[in-house]
Amino acid sequence: MAYLNLPISQHFATGELPAAVRAALGKPLRRAAAINQLAVVGALAAVPECRRQLSTALLWQSTGGPRSETQTLLREVCAGSGEAMPYDFLAIQPAIAAPQIQGFLPGLQSASYFPMDNEATAQWALVLNLALNLLDEGRYAQILCAHLELTPEFAEGHWLNLSQTPLENSVIRLQLTKHQASEVLPNTPDFPRQLNYWLARTATGTLNLQSPLAYQQALEFTRR
Amino acid sequence: MRRPVYIAASGLLCARGGSPEAVAASLWNGEHGSEVRRVGDREFPYFALPLSEPSWLKRAEQAVCHVTTQLGALPVEIPLFVASSSFQIGHYEQRGEPYAVSVANAAFSRQLAAWMQLSGPLASISNACISGFSAMEAARSLIASGRLDEAVIIGIELSNQVTLAGFSAMELLSPTASRPFDARRDGLVLGEAVAAVRLSATPSPWRITGLRTGLDAYSTTGPDPEGGPIAQVMADCLNEAQISASNIELIKVQAAGSPGTDLAEANALHQIFGKKPPALLSLKSAIGHTLGASGIAELVALLACLEADQIPATAGFQQTDPKIGAISPVDRNNCHIKRALLNLIGFGGGLASMIIERS
Repeated sequence: MAYLNLPISQHFATGELPAAVRAALGKPLRRAAAINQLAVVGALAAVPECRRQLSTALLWQSTGGPRSETQTLLREVCAGSGEAMPYDFLAIQPAIAAPQIQGFLPGLQSASYFPMDNEATAQWALVLNLALNLLDEGRYAQILCAHLELTPEFAEGHWLNLSQTPLENSVIRLQLTKHQASEVLPNTPDFPRQLNYWLARTATGTLNLQSPLAYQQALEFTRR
Repeated sequence: MRRPVYIAASGLLCARGGSPEAVAASLWNGEHGSEVRRVGDREFPYFALPLSEPSWLKRAEQAVCHVTTQLGALPVEIPLFVASSSFQIGHYEQRGEPYAVSVANAAFSRQLAAWMQLSGPLASISNACISGFSAMEAARSLIASGRLDEAVIIGIELSNQVTLAGFSAMELLSPTASRPFDARRDGLVLGEAVAAVRLSATPSPWRITGLRTGLDAYSTTGPDPEGGPIAQVMADCLNEAQISASNIELIKVQAAGSPGTDLAEANALHQIFGKKPPALLSLKSAIGHTLGASGIAELVALLACLEADQIPATAGFQQTDPKIGAISPVDRNNCHIKRALLNLIGFGGGLASMIIERS
């Protein structure tokens, strides 16, 4: 079982992201790819200051990832000199987000990146199942789960923060169940936003997240 | 619920051969030949797959189907986890302008599943050089907790110019050869591999008793030279396996011949194992650093060596580095190893350790 704070969804016009970074950090985040900047801004919004030292794992996903940076590097290497600029190569490495986040979230101890294989669905069922296991095993105090997306027009992040013990402002309990709730949300990238809509329109009740049948049990969200 | 997870089957295609047994035999014989690849005006050694097909996509299909066959008959609904750091970027290169990159980062994973004739749940993991162990950690967690009964994890890293140029730009490549822990080491050598394991809750000869990932944020491109975070992940892994360091008989090290990373790993080994660590073996100087596939490729190769009771020598090692101290790879031998530890150290601060044990 785990407890969740209010889900967080962020949406920035692409040009607004640097200002959002400065507002969150008090300074620009130099030499960081746009998706890593989005990750830092979201992680800080999802974890209150008093919990940033706690042991934390990050499980994050993206459909496009560093797509435009990959195109830039392909042109640079294949249609240019054959050489790459070091920063352009680093910009296509999603793994580099983790050490950049750890500078502001000292408790971050592990991170995994799940790139999507299609545009319609996400891996929330997978990452939330993994998060429940990690919390059950006592490996971390909190697990951050996120879906981050960049397009030429906007940057968007959806975040869930799970912990084993309820926080003062925990609004949802998450557990596994073999029972089907009356309401099931699809496993889409913006699932946290849909969860917020559900919280806004229901005072009680439970909700399932659509999961692969192979997982044998469903993820059940209960309003506290 | 927490149950043991076993390695039920494995498959491998890399520069040293087309099956785990062939690779083990090649390693035992000390083979470590490589090809040459060019980046701009510079040339670097490279461990390529023994496939002559010129089309990147057809070559990928050949490699994936070849490895899938080695896993035996698979239920079509078995969950598939794909580990890679570059996915289909070589295909984009070959298609040329306008370098149309799929909207979904890991669209290639769907193609992989189709080639493998699998239609169950599909997940992709990209954590640079520790991708393979990250994928295994996810699959193992779901099996151990009873959510899944089995899963296939495939690591794939195929030739592409972008990765070569990137590593070259970072000055991480050796112009001559990979020399793990050697005083003359001057960089790593990249390579290709496709490797897969089938994990299961059903008992098999080898069990995963510990698997931990961690993060070293010292720098985005290299670990803390003191090795503290690497040592912590090894310690966590030993704790999970409920054994002490003295119970480890062999370590498959990350050591790829990188001046800084090899030193950091050696310092971590000193912290956990003291002055006299167990037998050490690096495989990267014989099969190349296969990045996102390296975890699974090296696990499968190591298992085949252990099954044959043939521990190979580490290619490229000749001269002890005084800065590293009494850390040197083991001579080739026929020891019967019951328990081994495997380390991965990745770009972006990713760290992973795994302990495997005979059932």
